Amino acid sequence: MDAVTYPDSKVSDFIETKMIPLQVPYNHQPLSTDFNVQWTPTLVILDAVGKEHHRTVGFLGPEELIPSLLLGVAKVHFDLEQFDPALANLEALLAGYPKSDAAPEAIFLRGVSRYKSTHEAKPLKEAYELLQAQYPGSEWTKRAYPYRLL
Amino acid sequence: MGEKISWESEFATALNRAKAEGKEILLSFHNPG
Repeated sequence: MDAVTYPDSKVSDFIETKMIPLQVPYNHQPLSTDFNVQWTPTLVILDAVGKEHHRTVGFLGPEELIPSLLLGVAKVHFDLEQFDPALANLEALLAGYPKSDAAPEAIFLRGVSRYKSTHEAKPLKEAYELLQAQYPGSEWTKRAYPYRLL
Repeated sequence: MGEKISWESEFATALNRAKAEGKEILLSFHNPG
């Protein structure tokens, strides 16, 4: 990550603009123990009080890191029931990185966010139908499978 | 633009900045070798 991904100009611009970057050695105490870090690289997305909402373990290239971070930021807002900013980050992910590994989960979470903000079931069914059409082999398509009946 | 990331190294500083700037924290555990 330090050699390939973080020096990428799109990655560094995104992180500097959108996030607060904090980097520590894998054996840092107390953070390594507090966040149960067992391998590197481990990336954890935290809210402003230090609570974890998303993590990845293992190398991510520039084309996968930005969508993963967008998903992480969306999860922070989703968990805090801030659905408008959650949806904005998910839409940015899906518009800019539709072929990324994070895209299927973003479609799933967008459907759930729309449901929770409107209390209408239609977005859940739409999420399943889009997943089935575009990512039929994704685990998120399987997780959305019950929504086909809504 | 395209400059090196200015990593914080202290958790408390990152938390203070996150609150002040309304941003999420990217906590990166790495092996500095």
